[in-house]
Amino acid sequence: MPEVTYLEALRQGLWEEMERDDRVFILGEDVGLYGGAFKVTEGFSQRFGAQRVIDTPISEAAIVGAAAGAAHMGMRPVAEMQFIDFVSCAYDMLTNYVATARYRAGLATPLVVRGPCGGYVRGGPFHSQNPEAAFFHTPGLKIVYPATARDAKGLIKASIRDDDPVLYLEHKWLYRRIKEQLPEGEEIVTPIGEARLAREGTDLSIVTYGATVWKSLEAAEQLEQEDGVAAEVLDLRTLLPMDDAAIMRTVKKTNKVLLVHEDTRTGGVAGEIAARINEQAFEWLDAPIKRVTAHDVPLPYAPTLEDFVLPQTEDIVKAARWLAAY
Amino acid sequence: MARVDVLMPQMGESIAEGTVSKWLKKLGDPVKRDEPLFEISTDKVDAEIPSPTAGVLAEIRVQEGQTVPVQTLVAVIETDKSATVQPAAAAAPSAAAPPPKPAAAPGPPPPAPPASPALDRPRPPSTAPVGKGGDGTETADERLRRRSTPLVRKIAAEHSVDISTISGTGFAGRVTKQDILGFIERGAPAAPVSRLPAAAPSGPVPHPTVEPWPGDRVEPFSKIRKITADHMIMSRRTSAHVTSFFEVDYTRVAELRRKHKAAYAERGVNLTYLAFIAKACAENLRRHPVVNAAVSGDNIIYRGEVNIGIAVALEWGLIVPVVKHVDELSLVGIARAINDLGERARTKKLLPDEIQRGTFTITNPGVFGSYAGAPIINQPQVAILGVGTIEKRPKVVTLPDGTDTIAIRTLGMVSMSYDHRVVDGADADRFLADVKRMLEDFPEGAI
Amino acid sequence: MASRTRPTTQSPPLPAGLTREQLLGIYRYLRLTRTLEERLTALYRQSKVIGGLFRSLGQEGESVGSAYALERGKNGDILSPLIRNLGSMLVMGARPVEILRQYMAKADGPTRGRELNVHFNDLELGYLGQISHLGDMIPVMAGITLTFKLRGEPRVGLVYIGDGGTSTGTFHEGLNFAAVQRCPLVVIAEYNRWAYSTPPEKQFAVKDLVDKAKGYGVAAATVDGNDVLAVYQATKLAVERARGGAGVQFLEVKTYRRKGHAEHDDQHYEPPDELDWWAKQNDPIDRYVKQLIQHDWVDERELSDVDEHVRVEIDEATDACVDEPLPQGETALPGVYANPRAAERLWFRNL
Repeated sequence: MPEVTYLEALRQGLWEEMERDDRVFILGEDVGLYGGAFKVTEGFSQRFGAQRVIDTPISEAAIVGAAAGAAHMGMRPVAEMQFIDFVSCAYDMLTNYVATARYRAGLATPLVVRGPCGGYVRGGPFHSQNPEAAFFHTPGLKIVYPATARDAKGLIKASIRDDDPVLYLEHKWLYRRIKEQLPEGEEIVTPIGEARLAREGTDLSIVTYGATVWKSLEAAEQLEQEDGVAAEVLDLRTLLPMDDAAIMRTVKKTNKVLLVHEDTRTGGVAGEIAARINEQAFEWLDAPIKRVTAHDVPLPYAPTLEDFVLPQTEDIVKAARWLAAY
Repeated sequence: MARVDVLMPQMGESIAEGTVSKWLKKLGDPVKRDEPLFEISTDKVDAEIPSPTAGVLAEIRVQEGQTVPVQTLVAVIETDKSATVQPAAAAAPSAAAPPPKPAAAPGPPPPAPPASPALDRPRPPSTAPVGKGGDGTETADERLRRRSTPLVRKIAAEHSVDISTISGTGFAGRVTKQDILGFIERGAPAAPVSRLPAAAPSGPVPHPTVEPWPGDRVEPFSKIRKITADHMIMSRRTSAHVTSFFEVDYTRVAELRRKHKAAYAERGVNLTYLAFIAKACAENLRRHPVVNAAVSGDNIIYRGEVNIGIAVALEWGLIVPVVKHVDELSLVGIARAINDLGERARTKKLLPDEIQRGTFTITNPGVFGSYAGAPIINQPQVAILGVGTIEKRPKVVTLPDGTDTIAIRTLGMVSMSYDHRVVDGADADRFLADVKRMLEDFPEGAI
Repeated sequence: MASRTRPTTQSPPLPAGLTREQLLGIYRYLRLTRTLEERLTALYRQSKVIGGLFRSLGQEGESVGSAYALERGKNGDILSPLIRNLGSMLVMGARPVEILRQYMAKADGPTRGRELNVHFNDLELGYLGQISHLGDMIPVMAGITLTFKLRGEPRVGLVYIGDGGTSTGTFHEGLNFAAVQRCPLVVIAEYNRWAYSTPPEKQFAVKDLVDKAKGYGVAAATVDGNDVLAVYQATKLAVERARGGAGVQFLEVKTYRRKGHAEHDDQHYEPPDELDWWAKQNDPIDRYVKQLIQHDWVDERELSDVDEHVRVEIDEATDACVDEPLPQGETALPGVYANPRAAERLWFRNL
């Protein structure tokens, strides 16, 4: 089986869906001839034609709005935000128009908005954001966030096929750093709303998503080697709708839970997860629910500052040790 | 002579590695600052990389065609700039497979994050706020030791285990899941061990401090005082104290005493009112088991034995020796036991077993003249009977012909404080009514 | 469609109001801009500048020429530069050592390592750096110039926008608002032919950016962006009109982006002969030098002296700061709010 990077897997998924379904098309800035700022759509324009790979002006609101209109007409558009940081320019269209369309007007809007998110790359405040929390409280949207190459492929396919609008967050730091062997000739579709147990354990659970899945796995390995603590790592994969059952299963198994995400602490998704655990698994808790997140500051550029602000493997290890000793 | 590192650059945020495609200089070649040194190729772009300084190409670490992660040391330039301090290499972005750190970068290292304290045994900070509950001054740590976590409470409830009887190895000494599961596995008794009545189960109680004024004398607690002080507070906090007051007509008992006192004295027994009261209580504790009980968590423990403690006031403090199996003793037996225990209490000759496992307590404030008291329950019991002073008082009596008149009777109050968590008013009063009745109609045969 | 715009305004035989010193001064800024960017590029390839590196090669003329037309100094005019307006910032008084520190994320840099490249300000010197969301600076500059107007100050604002940037919602809203309010704002629209890889035909349906200006009801003009003095003159005119109360002035400068979008872009989509023509036949610095020499305003030796001084200045500025430390991690915490002064250090960092 060949090894593909996270980015190549995403590209494969997009390509396969474009081949499989004529209604799928891509629109975004520099996606056509250039193949996309990160080369995700390299070769697409040549294969599928300029009409299905549309180079747009710098107009995120128009991109999302136009995608919505096309979706109403039965198309399956995939709208790219060159950096997900610019999705804020489309916030109005996405939350007011797209998310509410089915509910208020019975209008199907099966579109995907995707874009590279995340830090650890010294991109500064406008090229490193994790915006999931801003859309998390918007009923009508689905949000997915793959951490592995396999899920990058599986989730883009699932998102395109889903009849609801999906915000697909791909992590730019993972693009070329994650490689995985993917089976050929097999349709890889990751169900939306289903978490994945990345590592089994008995002493505590780390619930996370995105790049911090990898840091959590590193931390779990370290805890095993140095402390004899067996940590379980749950990769959420989908944030909305969240897989409550999987979360409660792991909480009930280990009774201690650490929530980890790269996004800031206040208003971050971990707060919601903690509330749900409190509601659904209170009696199984043998320690307070703890969070490891970014500090509540805009993301700074300098490497020393970014490393301080964002959660690192060593932070997860420390927090897990605290929990284990509780 | 100084050595300057040349690193594989990162040309673009997502780029993780680069290939040296061509060296433009050979080992030993002189090179000027910013002069192109080598060529690289990456996923996005090919580029010429200029030398960071003037000098001589002293080392080549990566050969043409080799692909290495970004920030890898690729070459070293020797420069004759004196005392050039090494630049802080832009810290490698942390990676899932961390790239090798650039070798030998002396000079000011990137400022390390502030050193964290040594972690030999991680001490989690107390995250719960200090309790300032209306109930007193229980701290978060105390609460945690008493109540642990939801999971441990659930396990404790399922197995009828009292968390406070298990020693905890967790944060703040709390009982962990492992602690309680281990405890249950070892078959530890489900019922808590009976404690010294005066001992506080969860450790010493902190009493608030007060500033002494000039002229005051400050005396630290003696051990017995400390135990008593802690117990009184703990008992008040634990039980829902209610006191019920009954007036007992001891005229008959007084008569019986007068009649038999001499005979008892010959046998070396002082027949006190207390003995009669103890006998009446013993009989009726059997009939009202909820008054002869203990509360454990959400459970009532109905005691199999009836062991009555008799509070003795000594110069140096309060002590409560226990008459065991009172319901099996005769009046003379009870009297003898009370005499004996009292004597040995005063001479400090009580055995440890003799101040344990009481199931009910009688205290006698009346001996000093108190009309009635509202005593504090002796934990872990649920009731304590206070005997008020016994004296002649006027009382309305109904003559056989139905008329009322005032008579002089020997009367005294009994006041029982009971734990309303499990003993309801009706329970307490029915018990006391029966005790009163028995005392007022004391069977001669029982003597 | 080849983009070989002929100069639309003739370079005047005598640059109006400029002294020889000023002509040399303009040259110095052009050379400083280019040399500084070359040094920044080298530093990027030496991993000392990280994140990304964006050049203004070929656009130095319009940056320097336009900024030079402003009233500089405290309580003077204020401009808002984009990523390819390093020249404008240097003209307003930004110092190379500060710029180097900023790019290299040094602790002593203007934003103490918090922001990248040209994203920094000095409102006293008169520049307000951008954020990455294009078009956003236009409503901001509308607000700044509105304040000038409200206070009766004879100050003017100048904001740059790229051809791609004119497609954004905030460009539209900002320009419309400024126009209606008659703000003393000069909008310099840099038609440099490329928005990353996107050519103008895919960006808008008008031929020239001045055609858009009509829709906002503002005065508009076009100028050859690679003719420094023409840009200077056209901007000066616009600035004077704005200062005189004529409202928003829209100036389109035609130029060409000679490097990729950033250092990691190999610009393969730019037709090589087109690129070649702009580099060889229409470089703004070459054209200016030719003018200066032809008209005998300065001599060659004076120019090479400036070149040498600039080289030394850039070397010294680099040496001064290249080994300076990066900021300590904890310095990321203060300054989110005025009050409270600093964000909390999270619990797992306190263990």
